[in-house]
Amino acid sequence: MTRVGIPVASEMVAPIEAPAALAPETIRFPHGLPGFERCRGFVLMASEGLGPVQCLKAVDGPSASFLVIDPRRVLPEYRCELSEMDRARLGVQDQDTLLWLSLVSIELDGTITVNLRAPIVINPGAMVGQQVIPYHCVYPIRFVVSETV
Amino acid sequence: MLVFTRRRHEAIMIGDGIRIEVLRVGRDGVRLGVVAPTEIAVHRKEIYDQIREANQKAAAAPQDLDAIARRQQRRA
Repeated sequence: MTRVGIPVASEMVAPIEAPAALAPETIRFPHGLPGFERCRGFVLMASEGLGPVQCLKAVDGPSASFLVIDPRRVLPEYRCELSEMDRARLGVQDQDTLLWLSLVSIELDGTITVNLRAPIVINPGAMVGQQVIPYHCVYPIRFVVSETV
Repeated sequence: MLVFTRRRHEAIMIGDGIRIEVLRVGRDGVRLGVVAPTEIAVHRKEIYDQIREANQKAAAAPQDLDAIARRQQRRA
């Protein structure tokens, strides 16, 4: 599902295009994301230049793209239990088969934070995803990363 | 806004699939139980609002990609 091929470094300031021909790679988000409820389809793009950070870009609804990273890259012991409802919505019994991504924010002063409280969880088998807000979750929305990314 | 008076163990229905029941009424709060179809996510509003705000801040600008790329180059 990961597509490699974002132009690196200086070319990277150009907007990333997601051609319609890549539709089979679209991950369905039936409810969008909070604040982006009309974005129902996303593609996940990787680039060597971005290291472990990937780009999650909406391919329908309003234009939106996010930087994302596996939360275990910033906190190796990261572990969230999904509710039965969340697993049902994703169509899985075993949550170990899921792909976990946390949204990365670059704040105005350059501080980089990662949202560990509400991860995006994707079932690669069904190409369906959602942002979950686990009921019992001790992790912060704004986890400051220093040199861990 | 529709306003109801409910006592303990009384409920309201929203559509035919969502039931909200008053489980306990205390001095500091009301404990509610929600039964909803699987496809309906139920959240505390203040948490949901925080996540929405964080998402809007996280929406990446093109220069964010460049900032991450430069950072990776420095670390290489």
